[in-house]
Amino acid sequence: MKNRSEEYIPLVVTVGQVAIFPYYIVWLKEVSLTFTLFAWLFAAFSFAAAWGYRVFQSKKNKNNSYIPFIYVGMGIVYILVGCIKNSFEILLYGVLLLQVILGFLQGYFRAWHIEQKAYHLHAVHHYLIVGVTMIGLSFVKIISPVVFITFFGILLCTCGFWTLIRKKKAELI
Amino acid sequence: MQAIKELSIKPWFLGSLVFVFVVVILWNIPIEKRKYGLSQGNLATDYTGLLPERVERVVKAENRMELQKIVKQANKNGQQISVAGLQHSQGGHTYFKNGVVLDMRTFNEVLEIDKQEKTIRVEGGATWEDVQEAITPYGLALKVTQSQSIFSVGGSLSVNAHGRDIRFGSMASTVKEMTLLTPIGEIKKVTRDNSEEWMKYVFGGYGLFGVILDVTLELTENDVYTIHTEELKTDEYESYFNNLLDHNNTALHYARVSVAPNTFLDEMYVIDYNYTGKQDHKSSLKGEQGVHLSKLALDLGRQGGFFEDVFWETQKLYIDSIDGNTITRNNAMRSESTFMEFTKSGRIEVLQEFFVPVNSYEEYINDVKQLLSPNDKNEDFKVHNITVRYVAQDNLTSLNYAKEDMFGLVILIQHGLKEKEIANAQEIIQDWTSLTLEHGGTYYLPYYRYQTKEQFIKSYPEWKKFQKEKLRRDPNEVFQNLFYDYYIK
Repeated sequence: MKNRSEEYIPLVVTVGQVAIFPYYIVWLKEVSLTFTLFAWLFAAFSFAAAWGYRVFQSKKNKNNSYIPFIYVGMGIVYILVGCIKNSFEILLYGVLLLQVILGFLQGYFRAWHIEQKAYHLHAVHHYLIVGVTMIGLSFVKIISPVVFITFFGILLCTCGFWTLIRKKKAELI
Repeated sequence: MQAIKELSIKPWFLGSLVFVFVVVILWNIPIEKRKYGLSQGNLATDYTGLLPERVERVVKAENRMELQKIVKQANKNGQQISVAGLQHSQGGHTYFKNGVVLDMRTFNEVLEIDKQEKTIRVEGGATWEDVQEAITPYGLALKVTQSQSIFSVGGSLSVNAHGRDIRFGSMASTVKEMTLLTPIGEIKKVTRDNSEEWMKYVFGGYGLFGVILDVTLELTENDVYTIHTEELKTDEYESYFNNLLDHNNTALHYARVSVAPNTFLDEMYVIDYNYTGKQDHKSSLKGEQGVHLSKLALDLGRQGGFFEDVFWETQKLYIDSIDGNTITRNNAMRSESTFMEFTKSGRIEVLQEFFVPVNSYEEYINDVKQLLSPNDKNEDFKVHNITVRYVAQDNLTSLNYAKEDMFGLVILIQHGLKEKEIANAQEIIQDWTSLTLEHGGTYYLPYYRYQTKEQFIKSYPEWKKFQKEKLRRDPNEVFQNLFYDYYIK
């Protein structure tokens, strides 16, 4: 393991994604007009994730992964979702775009993550941490899911910048 | 099989799949419909929903005898009755506090088509869509109707509606005969030359002079037109239109004025439907087309500022692209409407219409320019669209808005629903109405009543006579609605 950011940050991102997903689904359900549309938005996410996954797998130089930017990208999507306070006319069109971006980034991240040495250990830890986190979250009463979504977005951006700084430092050394 | 497997893992293939799927979803995002009308909880509303009111009961009209019984009983028991069709009027014309609402939507039969005489007899609750569906196979078309076919025949006549036709006069003038259920419960056949002048008060009578049971409408041929479009400056429009009117080449016409910041009230485009001399007995009626694209474009325009400029440019491109196309009269008279749906909570889109004499148009627009802000992006009161249509002088109705040949400017307005925001909209619209009156114009009554009673009196000097006739023909004031309560009573 080269550094702590490589050891812990992917775990934070994986756990965070699972923990935040119920809130994200609640938000998505609120903006979708029908179940059909809700399902389609998820399908768009899934297809984009397959695409992102394959884009990383097809990379010739897997060490040059852009992973800090992937974190920041995901963070921005969550922050954007958190900023949407009201429903407006073209919201659904925007949501579709966000779903595609988020799906692509998550697929890319997952493909990168499984290539990491710590991945198998993370897989075990993430189940345990998610379980504990979800029990913890069940006691937290919030008015709007966007509070957690925004918080997670900021956390992802911080992880992205932190990874970038560590990477630059490592290159200098 | 192996080839498909290999293809399915190619990044470009997956990327294309995402792209195609996204396009399919974009195309199928359903357009949310506004909820309004008689089944809205315990309160009745109309299209704006601005005047919710409790009604005693809603009666679905089944047959004439039943309707007659209800009216006679109401006379005896001191009840109030309102008449509702599709409720697209916006000022509480279709209901009254604790009153009985006659829901006429079930009264929608096409009773008779006379191909030789070119007439159709149809019940009052039928929509123009029903009429068009019935007459198209005969190669016939309506003489006058609104630009959309979503309204009921009785409703359109009650608000004395007008459309894009510039040759056949008012809608009321195309009615040959009518069966009316009078306010005292009589069923009368009324013709145009009826000495009691029922048509004068029923058309443009906003449901206060009885129930239109059926009407016999004059029809014309389902002509084929070529579409001519042109971009103009606002100050060129008057002479353009007068020229159009003098030459008999054009059947239908309307125009749109820019409300985009860069070209605010300076630019216009016109759309004319010119005679080709051909008729169409085969083409079917068109359905709603390009609803998603139109809605997306309008929604962009609704953002205001730069996006409104983009919207205007897009509209011009579209209008330019249809120049030279051909269309049947029936299809030209059934524009799309779903794309206009607006469902943002806490805000409302309403219509207002101002009429100005044709020769005052240029001066009027210049004055309106001083009244409104060209860029309303950050303002609560937003103007999204102004359509201009010609309205020929109307001597047939009592509350007539066209005392001479006029242009009607239909304005789509958006504002908030907080008390302060409604008051602000009211103030602007009252100023706009005063300005219109100064130019010898008037305003249309089927929309929400932002105007004062004084402005109503100035706009409709015959209102006293209208009131007197109402009391003479409906002595127990059985037919009532919120419009009557506010303006006439």
